[in-house]
Amino acid sequence: MTDRLDLPQGTLDLLILKALSLGSQHGWAISERIHQVSQATLQVPQGSLYPALHRLERQGWISAEWGTSDNNRRAKYYALTRTGRKQLDAETDAWDRLTAAVALVLKMA
Amino acid sequence: MTILSDLRFRLRAILQRDAMERELDDELRFHIERETEKYVRAGMVPEAALRKARIEFGGVTRFKEETRDARGITVLDTIVQDLRYGLRGLRSKPAFTAAIVITLGLGIGANAAMFGIVDRLMFRAPARLAAPDRVHRVYMRYLWDGKEQIDNGFSYLRYLDFVRSTTAFDRAEAVSSRMLAVGTADEAREMNVGTVSAGFFQLFDAPPALGRYFTTEEDTPPSGTPVVVLSHAYWQLHYGGRNVLGTSLRVGDAVYTIIGVAPEGFVGIDDVNPSAMFIPITSFAGLRNHQYLQNYGWTWMDMIVRRRPDVSIAAANTDLSLAFARSWELERERNSAESPNYPGASKVHARAEAAPLLLARGPDADQNSHVATWVMGVAVIVLLIACANVTNLLLAHAVKRRREIALRLALGVTRRRLLQQFLTESMLLALLGGVAGLAVAQWGGRMVRRIFLSTEDTSAVVTDGRTLFFVALTTAVVALLTGLAPALHALRGDVADALKAGSRDGSYRRSRIRTALLLFQGAFSVVLLVGAGLFVRSLSHVRGMRLGYDVAPVAYVEGVTRGVKPSEAEMNALAERLVAAATTIPGVQSASLTISVPFWSTEGRGVPFVPGVDSVRKLGRFGLQAGSTSYFETVGTRIIQGRGFTDNDRAGSERIVVVSEAMAKALWPGKNPLGQTMRVGSDTNPFMTVVGVAEDMRGREITGGAEFWYYLPMQQYVTLFGARYPNLFVRVNGRAEDHVETIRKALQREMSGDSYVKAVPLGTLVAPRQRSWEFGAKMFVAFGGLALVLAAIGLYSVVAYGVAQRTHEIGIRIALGAGLGDVMRMIVLQGVAFAVAGIAIGSVIALWAGRWVEPLLFSQKAFDPVIYAGVGSVLLVVALAATIQPALRATRVDPNEALRSD
Repeated sequence: MTDRLDLPQGTLDLLILKALSLGSQHGWAISERIHQVSQATLQVPQGSLYPALHRLERQGWISAEWGTSDNNRRAKYYALTRTGRKQLDAETDAWDRLTAAVALVLKMA
Repeated sequence: MTILSDLRFRLRAILQRDAMERELDDELRFHIERETEKYVRAGMVPEAALRKARIEFGGVTRFKEETRDARGITVLDTIVQDLRYGLRGLRSKPAFTAAIVITLGLGIGANAAMFGIVDRLMFRAPARLAAPDRVHRVYMRYLWDGKEQIDNGFSYLRYLDFVRSTTAFDRAEAVSSRMLAVGTADEAREMNVGTVSAGFFQLFDAPPALGRYFTTEEDTPPSGTPVVVLSHAYWQLHYGGRNVLGTSLRVGDAVYTIIGVAPEGFVGIDDVNPSAMFIPITSFAGLRNHQYLQNYGWTWMDMIVRRRPDVSIAAANTDLSLAFARSWELERERNSAESPNYPGASKVHARAEAAPLLLARGPDADQNSHVATWVMGVAVIVLLIACANVTNLLLAHAVKRRREIALRLALGVTRRRLLQQFLTESMLLALLGGVAGLAVAQWGGRMVRRIFLSTEDTSAVVTDGRTLFFVALTTAVVALLTGLAPALHALRGDVADALKAGSRDGSYRRSRIRTALLLFQGAFSVVLLVGAGLFVRSLSHVRGMRLGYDVAPVAYVEGVTRGVKPSEAEMNALAERLVAAATTIPGVQSASLTISVPFWSTEGRGVPFVPGVDSVRKLGRFGLQAGSTSYFETVGTRIIQGRGFTDNDRAGSERIVVVSEAMAKALWPGKNPLGQTMRVGSDTNPFMTVVGVAEDMRGREITGGAEFWYYLPMQQYVTLFGARYPNLFVRVNGRAEDHVETIRKALQREMSGDSYVKAVPLGTLVAPRQRSWEFGAKMFVAFGGLALVLAAIGLYSVVAYGVAQRTHEIGIRIALGAGLGDVMRMIVLQGVAFAVAGIAIGSVIALWAGRWVEPLLFSQKAFDPVIYAGVGSVLLVVALAATIQPALRATRVDPNEALRSD
């Protein structure tokens, strides 16, 4: 699939936090949501997803608990914590400024 | 991230490892199921969907590893793994492990034992002391005989002056430790009794275990109130911990009432010689002799102060110096009639200071603590030598493991990981060594403490927090020291080379680190052995020195009157009775009364007045001795000119005096001392004619210049200075220690009531003065010997290992026709070369360090060719012994086998 993009370095955390800002989700749903919202442009590398989730949990930005999924199966749900929400705001802000700046440079002349 | 949530997460990761692993599995399975469902919904066959989902996901193991990494548990995980691996390794080579553990155990144990001593002498505040950093011992400094005197001996009057005129302190207490007879009749035993001022207990955070402490009202001159506070230990031992309040107990001169018991662990300010009980200082002094409280010259106690929190040490010193100057002037006024020329406070530069409470840290520390500090340094060197040995063994081992290590590196294990594993292994070894060290310290420590602290001390090393901490710290340092070099050594070098070389290194390469370590060991063994030699010779000098009297056959006997206050006449009668009785005891040659006792108490009556000699004071101190007619025969002091005492030297006859040789030379240089005259004490005393010159004697200090002594016949002494004390010297056939009990029993019959007789060999009074050289000699010999053994083991292991490594090469040499002698010479010379280099380096270090040790030696120069030659030959012999066995093994190499194998 040629229309797929690899994630730039360091953006996975931001995307996970954003995906969770709409409500708690399990790992698979997070990757699906990113995939769908990006109109199938972004593909989360599945091998990186879970290490990233565990790292974020250790950092205290997301919390995890076991729940029951829509198909009645036990699944681990992740939710944004208060510090995670702050982190999301800060990272979104930083991303906006970065992309704006990059866009400016690219449109130059 | 918050540290707390991170920690919680990691903890859970470790403690609930299995649960976490299971959760991870569940999470993954769920993910793949959902992914599969998605593909099925898109129209795939279930099997194909599952396969696709799995492929999409990638390697599960790698992913799990990464997730674990993200959880941060791998570090701890690998440590546990390394520990298991290390333990397995050590178990598989017990001889190697045992050698290292014993070596480290000896090194660490020696240090733990010495630390216990030095800590108590120099660093540890007395138990339960409140605000220890503000508590000081007061020292006075003043010029006397042109020299600065440092003095912590206070008279009670001086103490009162200080209390009145200082403002920097919230506590100022008087303390003295006295050996007093406690109990009655046969039960009576001399014990260490703390005589203290009432406020002493307030220096401590120690409410009484029973009853109360005494009050200021009970500690007031002239003689206080006879009340006693028992130490916890004495209470337990003698009363079984029952309620003893109100019970009577005879202590020294009076019957005391027990009013309290100090709490457990409370021993006052000297935990080396703990007090069995505490009595008001005025009650001791007032009942013993009024001079204790009323004479500036009777210095018999220490002053302990506690600074106010807002006062600096400098300000406290100023305060104390002013107080001392004022007190000095008061003393001068008071004694103006007797000594009109007494110098003023400003002339003698009277100063005082708040010094550390511990004597060994104070300005007047005795030789023992200096020697103890040196021995601690020696113990550290022994530990370093032990470490060098262990490093060498580990290095040899690491070289053997090069192939294994190279293989693991080739398989992708990181160097960091391997380094960690090496360090874990040396940590394990050090830990075992530390445990062994504690055992050594526990066993050997009691012996060492007995030597240094001269006390029966039962405190255990393993229960002392500070010593344990020290051992833990030492162990960690040892682990790093011994582990790092071998690890780095093993990791260095090319993987491919090592793998190609096979188990036998084609060429034998001598490692530079190992050579350096070996030289270090040899050199420091030399240094320690030289130190041992210096102290042993000092000890033999001091033992062999003529003190000016015989020590071995003389006993010192003291009649102690208790309960009664005898008149002067009664005292004199008792003294004469004791001398008469003593001479009739079988085995006794002669007996004489005495006033001064060497190294115990010195009688001084100021500076003699000598017609025609000015400024006698500047010459030095003059000691006074008085004795019966048989005095010189009894103690063995030789008369070198003129005569000693005769029966004709009576109270009414011509006044005579015998002077020591040094005193005669100082007073009448170049003249015949016989017939000269001098006068002592007050101006109205009669002149005395010198009739004899005695050999020099030492009674105050064992080092330094010759002392000045003069001798009066006892009967004439009494007419000048009053009562004699029932103190005598007794000369026996053979050794004094074999007779003291007989003498004591025989003379006890002459005593009435609670009075009793003490008899000790003169040697026990002299021995403490020789102790610092004895410590030095014993400890240096012990540690020097230990160092030598360790160095020998080190040399042996290196040479033996070299031979094992060179089997192939030796095989070739033999095959090519080298004689057995050639092979042996090759190996032995290697050991000898090490020894020679070690001797050279060690001698240079010893010569350089010598100037600091010299002040601690006794008429012994730090450079002594005999010692250096002796140490050199010892080291050579040891080096030969260590190499001979490997050399013999080298000659037994079978060239056929050596060349065929690998």
